[in-house]
Amino acid sequence: MITSQGGAGKSAGPAGPQAGRAVRDRDLTRRDRLARLGFLFAALVPSGMLLFLAAEMIREAIPAFTFSGWGFFTGEIFSFGQLYALTLSHHNGIVAPHGATYGALPFMVGTLASSVVALAIAVPVSVGAVLALTERVPYRLQSGLSVFLEVLAGIPSVAYGLWGILFFGPFMAAHVYPVLASVLGFIPVFRAPVGFGEGLLTASLVLAVMIVPIIAATTRELIRTVPILAKEGALALGMTPYETVKVVTLPYVRRGILAASLLGWARALGETMAVLMISGNLLDRLPVNIYGSFSTLAASIVDLLDSALTDATGMAVHALAALGCVLLVITIATNLVGRLIIRRASGGVPLPIGRGI
Amino acid sequence: MRPKRLVSRLSGTSLLLVVGLLVLGSLGGNVALAKSKKPKPLPTGNPTTQTTLTEAGSSLLYPYLEVLAPQVTAAYPHLTLSPAAGGSGLGIADAIGSLTSLGGSDAYLSAADALANPGLMNVPIAISAQAVDYNVTGAPPYLKFTGNVLAEIYQGKITNWDAPQLASLNRGVTLPNLAIVPVRRVDSSGDTFIFTSFLTATNKAWANGPSEGTTVTWPAVSNELTAEGNPGMITVCAGTPGCIAYIGVSVENQAIEGGLKEGLLKNKSGKFVRPIESTITAAVAAGAGATPANLTQSLIYEKGAKSYPIVNFEYLIVQKKQKTKAIAEAIRTFFSWAIKSSGGATPDNLAAVDFVALPTAAIPKVDKAIQKITG
Amino acid sequence: MIRQLRDLGFWALCLIALLLVIFPSVSIVVSLVEQAWPVPGWHLFTAGTPDDGLQNAILGTLVLCGGILVVTAPVGIAGGIYLAEFSHLRQGSWIRLGYETLAGIPSIVVGFVGYVVLDIELHWGFSLLAGILALSAIVLPYVVKTTEVALLQVPSALRDGAVALGLSRLTALRRAVLPPAIPAIISGLVVAVAIGVGETAPLLYTIGFSDQNPSLQPFQHSMGYLTYVVFYWISLPSKADHELGGAAGLILIGMLLLLIALGRLVSRWSARYSASMLS
Repeated sequence: MITSQGGAGKSAGPAGPQAGRAVRDRDLTRRDRLARLGFLFAALVPSGMLLFLAAEMIREAIPAFTFSGWGFFTGEIFSFGQLYALTLSHHNGIVAPHGATYGALPFMVGTLASSVVALAIAVPVSVGAVLALTERVPYRLQSGLSVFLEVLAGIPSVAYGLWGILFFGPFMAAHVYPVLASVLGFIPVFRAPVGFGEGLLTASLVLAVMIVPIIAATTRELIRTVPILAKEGALALGMTPYETVKVVTLPYVRRGILAASLLGWARALGETMAVLMISGNLLDRLPVNIYGSFSTLAASIVDLLDSALTDATGMAVHALAALGCVLLVITIATNLVGRLIIRRASGGVPLPIGRGI
Repeated sequence: MRPKRLVSRLSGTSLLLVVGLLVLGSLGGNVALAKSKKPKPLPTGNPTTQTTLTEAGSSLLYPYLEVLAPQVTAAYPHLTLSPAAGGSGLGIADAIGSLTSLGGSDAYLSAADALANPGLMNVPIAISAQAVDYNVTGAPPYLKFTGNVLAEIYQGKITNWDAPQLASLNRGVTLPNLAIVPVRRVDSSGDTFIFTSFLTATNKAWANGPSEGTTVTWPAVSNELTAEGNPGMITVCAGTPGCIAYIGVSVENQAIEGGLKEGLLKNKSGKFVRPIESTITAAVAAGAGATPANLTQSLIYEKGAKSYPIVNFEYLIVQKKQKTKAIAEAIRTFFSWAIKSSGGATPDNLAAVDFVALPTAAIPKVDKAIQKITG
Repeated sequence: MIRQLRDLGFWALCLIALLLVIFPSVSIVVSLVEQAWPVPGWHLFTAGTPDDGLQNAILGTLVLCGGILVVTAPVGIAGGIYLAEFSHLRQGSWIRLGYETLAGIPSIVVGFVGYVVLDIELHWGFSLLAGILALSAIVLPYVVKTTEVALLQVPSALRDGAVALGLSRLTALRRAVLPPAIPAIISGLVVAVAIGVGETAPLLYTIGFSDQNPSLQPFQHSMGYLTYVVFYWISLPSKADHELGGAAGLILIGMLLLLIALGRLVSRWSARYSASMLS
C-alpha cells in the first residue's frame, strides 16, 4: 500500500517539515510491516468514524428529504403532525402522520443568525485581545493572561449554559438590552420586547465567548510568525504601533485569521448544549426579534428526539436526521474551507482542532 | 530571556492550579455546614438476584416514583426502582426502544404506536390531574377559566388579562392591563396531551386545528414561551409576569410556593372546580365503569357536578415480553405492590403528590394486565 | 497629534477586548461558586442525586473518564504513531484531514447516530458502552493529534541514530523515539479526557441518566454523570435543585482546571526532559 517515493521523505506534520522520515519498505522487518499495518488501521479509525456518522445520517435522512422535497429548506413550520390520530398523509410515496410538515427554515435561520452574530463579535475581540496581549502587556504577564484563553477553551458547554441562565442572560435583559432597544429601536429587529434573557442575542453572545479561544489561539501563533525586522522597520520609519499593526502585522496574518474564523464559525454552528439551555427553545417558528426565543439545528435535535420516537411511522426520526444532515454538511464544509485556506497561507501555523486545542 | 519565560509559564500554571483547588476547596470548606439528610434505605438483598428497574419519562409521575422507590426496596430488598424524568414522550420512546424497563407517561400509547408495537402495554398506577396556574401581580387566586377561553388564549385570540372574556368570567375582580404570556411544554409531554385534549373537547377551532397530542402544532402567539418539563413550567412562569401555564398536580405545591396562583376550571356541568382529591375522585367515578381491558381511557371533561375536567391515568408503559423471567417477576412484583393500598398506593404516598388511587373497579383489570408480563 | 490619539484609541480598544476575554472566564467561575456555596460539602460526595448529593454523578463521570482512556488511548496513540513515523506526505495529510474534520462535527450528530444505531437498532438500550463509544468519537482526534505532535517534536537524530545502529523500526520506536515523547502524549491524553467529561450531547440519549451509582454493566443500564445534573437540575424550580446543579458545574470546572493544569505540568516536565535528552 505504501510505496517508496523519492520526495516523500518529509512529512509535514503540525510541527512543520521534518527531515529524515523516509520509510522505505526494504528498511522494514516483517514485524515492522505488521506493526505498520496495525498503526495504519488505528490512524484510519477517525476517518472511518467520520464516514460512518455521515453515511448513517444520510441514510436516516433520505425519507424526510424525499417527503418534503425543497419544502424542507423553505418551509417555516416544523411539525411531527398528529401522532395521536390514525390518519396518515402520503407525499412523494412516503407515509407520515396526518399534518406532518418538516420545514427547517426556522432552525437554519436560527443557526446562521446566532453563529454569524457570534462570529462578528468574536473576531474583532479575539484579534484585539491578542494584539493587546502580545504587543502591549508586559512579557511576564503574558502567559498568566493566556491561561484565561485555555480556561475558556476547557469550560464545558453546559457550564456556559448555566452561566447564561444564572447570570449573563438575566443581567443583559435587565441592563443592556433595554438600552440597546432604545438606541437601535429604529431598526425593526432591535425593537422591544427584550424578553427575559433567553433568546437569540444571549445565545449569540455566549457563542462568541465560546469561539474566542479558537480564533485567539491561532491569531497568537500567527502573530508570533510576523518577521520582527518588518515590525521594527516600520517603527523605525516613525510609524506608531497602531500603524505598524495596520501596515505590517494584520496583512501578514489576515489569511490565517480568516481560516481560524471559519473554524470558530463551524463550532458556533454546531454548538448544542449551551444554545439549548439559553435559546428559549422556540421550535416551530422564526424568532420575533433579536432578543426573542429561537432554536438551532443542533439544539432542536436534542429537544425533539424523544417526541420523534413516538411517531409510529418513523418519519419524525428521519426528519431530525435531515436536520442533522444539513448541519453536518455546513460544518464539514466550513471546516474544510478553513483548513484549505491555512494550507495555502504561508507561515505553516497549524489550526487548532475542535474546541481550540 | 529564558528564565523570565519560565517564570511567566510557572505563574500561568500555578494560577490554574490555585483556581482549580480553590474551586474544589470552596465545596470542601463547607463541610461543617453539612447536615445529615433523610437516610437512604440500603438494599439488603442478595446482590446476585438484585434487579434494578429503570424508568424514564413523565415529569408529572416522577415525584411519585421518587416517593415509591425507597419503599419498594424496603418491601422487597432485591428490587430497586431507578426513576428519571424527561417527559412522557421520552417515556413512550424508551418503552418502544426497550431503553428502560418502564416508560412513565401521562398519556396512553397512541393508536398508531399501539398498532406498531403490539408487545407494549399501558399499566396505570395512579390517577393524576392538571392545574392551570397564572402569575398576575395583584390578581387573586382562583380566577375562573373555561376550556374555550384557554383555547382562545393559546390561539392568540385573547391577548390581555383585562380582556372582556376573562372579565365576564370573573365579575368583581379587576384584572390589570397586562399581556398574557402563554407557556407551553417544549418536550413531548403527557401534560400537553391532557391539556390539548381538554381544549379539543371544549373548543371547535382547536379540535379542527392543533387537536390533541404529546406535541401539537401550536398556533403562533406573539409572546408565548416554552419550558422543559413540569418543573421548567414553574420556573418560567414564576419568572414571567402575565404568564399562564398548565402544570401537573404533583408539583402544584412547588408552583404555589413559587408564587403562582391556581385557577378554577369549568366542568361539563358548568361548575368551576379546583383540582383536589374530591373533584378528581368524582371525575374518576364518572368514568370508572368504562375502563376498557387495554386500560386506554381518557378521563378528560367527565360529566358530574363535582368532576374536575383535566384528570388522567398515570401510566407506566412496559413490554409484555421481558428478557428474563427474573426481570418479568420483578416488574410484576412492583406493579402489584404499587397499585394496592396495602403496598405503594397508601393515602400518604398519594397525598404527597396530590394523586388519587386507581378506582376499585380498575384494579382487577390492572391485575389481569400484569399477568401478561412474562420472561 | 491625531496619529498619536488614533494609536491611543486603538490600543484602548484592544485592551477592552482583552478584558472582554478575561471577564467571562472569571464571571463563570464566580457565578458558579455563588450558586453552589450554600450546598453542604461532604454530603455531595456521600449521597446520590435523590438525596441532594452528587455521588452517582461523580462516580459516573469517573467511569466515563476511564472508559474514554481505555478506548481512545490505544487507538489514538497508534494512529498518532502512524502519522508521525510511517505516513507519507500526501497520505498523511488525508488521514489528518479525517481526524480534523471529525473533531469539527457537532457533538449532537454523534449522539444522534449513537442513539439510533447502538441503543435502538442494536438493542443495547441505554448503555454505558454506547456512551463511551460516542464520547470516544469526540475525544479520539485530540489524542491522535497530540501524539503526532509529541512524536514530531522528538529530535530526528534519536530516530536516525537508532536506525543507524541496526535496530528495527519498531524497536527504535520503542527504545528511542517513544520514551521522550511519553510525557507530552500523557499531557495530551489528560486534555482529551478533560474535553470528554465536559461533553453532554453525545451522552443524553445514549446513556440516559440514573440516580443509582454506576452498575458498570455495558448494556441496558443507564448511568448518571455530572454534565446531565448541570443541564437538568437547573431547569427544576426549587432553589435547592439550582444549587445542586451549580455544585455539579463547579465540581466539573474544578476537575477540568486541575486536569488542564496537570497537562501543563506534564508538558513542562516533558520540555525539560527532552532538553536533557539532547544535552
